[in-house]
Amino acid sequence: MIAISVILGFYNEYKAEKIVENLRQSVSLKAVVTRDGKAKEIDSRLVIPGDLVSVYIGDIVPADIRVVQSKDLQTNEAVLTGESFPVEKTSESLELQHPIPQQLTNYLFMGTVVAHGIGRGVVISTGKNTEFGSISASLTRSHPETEFQRGVKKYGNMLITLTLALVVGIFSLNALVGHPIIGSLLFSLAVAIGLVPELMPAIVTISLSQGARRMAKKRVIAKRLVSIEDFGNMNVLCTDKTGTLTSGKIILKDSWSLDKEAKILEYSLLCNNAVVGDIISGNPMDVAIWEHATENGVRQKMKSYITLDEIPFDYRRRMMSAVVKQNNEATLIAKGAPESVLPKCKYAKITARTEPLDAVQQLIQSQLAEHSGSGYRTLAVAYRTVNLKTNYSVEDESDLTFLGLLIFTDPPKKEAHQAVNLLKNMGVNVKILTGDNELVAAKICNDLNIPVKKLIRGSDLTQMSSTEIRAAAEEATIFARITPEQKLDIIKALKANGHVVGFIGDGVNDAPALYEADVGISVDTAVDVSKDAADIVLLEKDLGVLAHGIEEGRKIFGNTTKYILMGTSSNFGNMFSAAAASVFLPFLPMLPMQILFMNLLYDVANMTLPTDNVDEEFIKWPKRWDIGFVRKFTLFFGPFSSLYDFLTYGIMLFIFNASAGLFQSGWFVESFWTEVLVIFVIRTRRIPFVTSRPGKWLTILSLSCVAFGTILPFTILGDFLGFTALPVEYWMLLVLMVATYLFLVDAGKVFFYKVCKL
Amino acid sequence: MLYGDLFIWWAISISWSIVFLIGVGIYLYRNSKKRVGESSQTKASTVAVLSNFVFIWVLIGLLTLYIVSIHMGSSLLFAVGNIAVEVILIVYAIVGGTKKSG
Repeated sequence: MIAISVILGFYNEYKAEKIVENLRQSVSLKAVVTRDGKAKEIDSRLVIPGDLVSVYIGDIVPADIRVVQSKDLQTNEAVLTGESFPVEKTSESLELQHPIPQQLTNYLFMGTVVAHGIGRGVVISTGKNTEFGSISASLTRSHPETEFQRGVKKYGNMLITLTLALVVGIFSLNALVGHPIIGSLLFSLAVAIGLVPELMPAIVTISLSQGARRMAKKRVIAKRLVSIEDFGNMNVLCTDKTGTLTSGKIILKDSWSLDKEAKILEYSLLCNNAVVGDIISGNPMDVAIWEHATENGVRQKMKSYITLDEIPFDYRRRMMSAVVKQNNEATLIAKGAPESVLPKCKYAKITARTEPLDAVQQLIQSQLAEHSGSGYRTLAVAYRTVNLKTNYSVEDESDLTFLGLLIFTDPPKKEAHQAVNLLKNMGVNVKILTGDNELVAAKICNDLNIPVKKLIRGSDLTQMSSTEIRAAAEEATIFARITPEQKLDIIKALKANGHVVGFIGDGVNDAPALYEADVGISVDTAVDVSKDAADIVLLEKDLGVLAHGIEEGRKIFGNTTKYILMGTSSNFGNMFSAAAASVFLPFLPMLPMQILFMNLLYDVANMTLPTDNVDEEFIKWPKRWDIGFVRKFTLFFGPFSSLYDFLTYGIMLFIFNASAGLFQSGWFVESFWTEVLVIFVIRTRRIPFVTSRPGKWLTILSLSCVAFGTILPFTILGDFLGFTALPVEYWMLLVLMVATYLFLVDAGKVFFYKVCKL
Repeated sequence: MLYGDLFIWWAISISWSIVFLIGVGIYLYRNSKKRVGESSQTKASTVAVLSNFVFIWVLIGLLTLYIVSIHMGSSLLFAVGNIAVEVILIVYAIVGGTKKSG
């Protein structure tokens, strides 16, 4: 059994790892370095500190680099910081006390992507010494124990204590009353073996493997099988924002203009730096404009325009302009940050007329405040008619007419709202941990209908003691502008507060938290380091599959719990009565071989337990490993079993005047019947138990085992084991006795579940 | 009775298992009242307490039935008593139980 458990576990984990491995794309990256005054392209892994590296749009930054030269340089740091929008990078020096990566605008970080412009810089650190590398290095330590593993360990300790106590107690008592020493020792050892749930590793592994297979069909890969139960028991899910709750892709959400017929979309398309081919690439906001225009059929209108000139974007102006011609009339269109474009505007276009900007300045400012306060990014678009000439310059960007605002966002995923609601209904509390700013995070919560109890910034967390962090982790819904280390601290704090914590993320900055959480969940589009750190990988972007995984986890936990509760309570009862009987009986109540055989047969009956149905009300809410509950269950239901064992002793001794063989046969059958049949009562909390339908295979196998146990005393094997045929009258009494036992246990559940909750 | 001298040991053992069970029941009940009662500060009525311990009265009844019937060596009394108790337990489970107690 143990060997089968180990092989099954290894095979499943290996298979899951293989699937994830196959998902990886091995890409050899190149970097342009200047050494000895000569620029050359080398493998990015050969870059060393001190190299002068040049980066261009689309490049993946090969090391941590201090920028010394830049032109309109922007990088996408979402993978490292969670910030959806590109970040401007310059060579300007900064004076910061304890900067976080988000604040270092003169640094390029390894693994981030150049979204715009070009830059040059000196390599400061490479490999594991980079921000990216330090995160990866933190993942080489062994996985922390999951809640499930901690629970199993406690359960094991409880069993060891109980078993040792019984072995010592039974052996001493038997020896004291004068039973043979060797016989007493064998008997006490058999009783101890009877208490050990040796099938538990197999039950757990089979349950987990089957659950993993069912999850894989729904495109959820469980890399670490042991995390599946915690997946079900998870009551707090911390989630990254970008790419998890949001699509991780900027879209043009809307435009705002005082002119109802404004050509704002046409103009922003004409003044645009995106590279349009089979796919549209370039600055994410320019790409978003193109995609929006394509969807709305605006691209067709561009054919009537001819582009005459372009004044490119630069960091100081924070805007760009294009000069276009239509019907022999030249127009300069400017697009950029509102704080840069508006000062260059003199007028505003209001439907059918143009008015001085001052008249509507307040209205525009209030719009800007409203949009930025809601977590949106805005660009302003303005224009002016210009004379036809060969070259245009920055000086032409004056006396512009304000046309309107473009409003961008990284929208929530379509299914995120439904998934969050589903999680809420399943008792999972959602918290957002993001490197992005608090306004954007609050906006997402608002969009997804997540009530925000409290918002905490990374800068607030740095001031807090560990006790304060634990309290903050409990209260807050949003943690914004936080570093990967702070994400880790929050996960640790929530675990210390007694929660089973899940974390879902896809960036490098999420990896430490994914590793530390009881259940780390990532997506197939995530960076490799994040997928490596995760226990569960979602192959679909649909967050709804989370609910399915949770359900599977709860079913597996339910069936594992059933085995533990049944095993410990009925075994404890049987072995306890065996121990008591061995003291006052002139012979052993059951031979060691008979005890071991019964144990084996009971295990066979339990083999199909992983396929059992789990009541729907059980999987509605997360459960916890509660060793106190197992102890109470054992103490309460164990004596029921003992009571009927003692009753059998009475019947065999005082009604049938049984010999040792008959006594042992009678008790074997009664003990086996009660032990197996009580599965149908204990497997459900429903009262009466018949209202819960057991699994088909569990029913078939259990009843078959009962039938086998019943005919055993009449067979050659039974003869070999020392059993003798039982009288008909005993069978009649046995049926009545076992029925009373089952109904009594069912009635006991009314009381027990009233006073004890799992 | 071949094993007549063991009867007292047997009666003590079976009684002890019921006493143990009742003890555990009372402990669990008091424990749960301590948890819940401290916040609500409400005292359960005697009737409610007695109804919560129905299974204890059943156990005491069963114990009496088992000791008496086995002492008399009467299978008939044993069978009739069991059937009566089963009916009581079924009614109790239907009335006191819930289909979905989750």
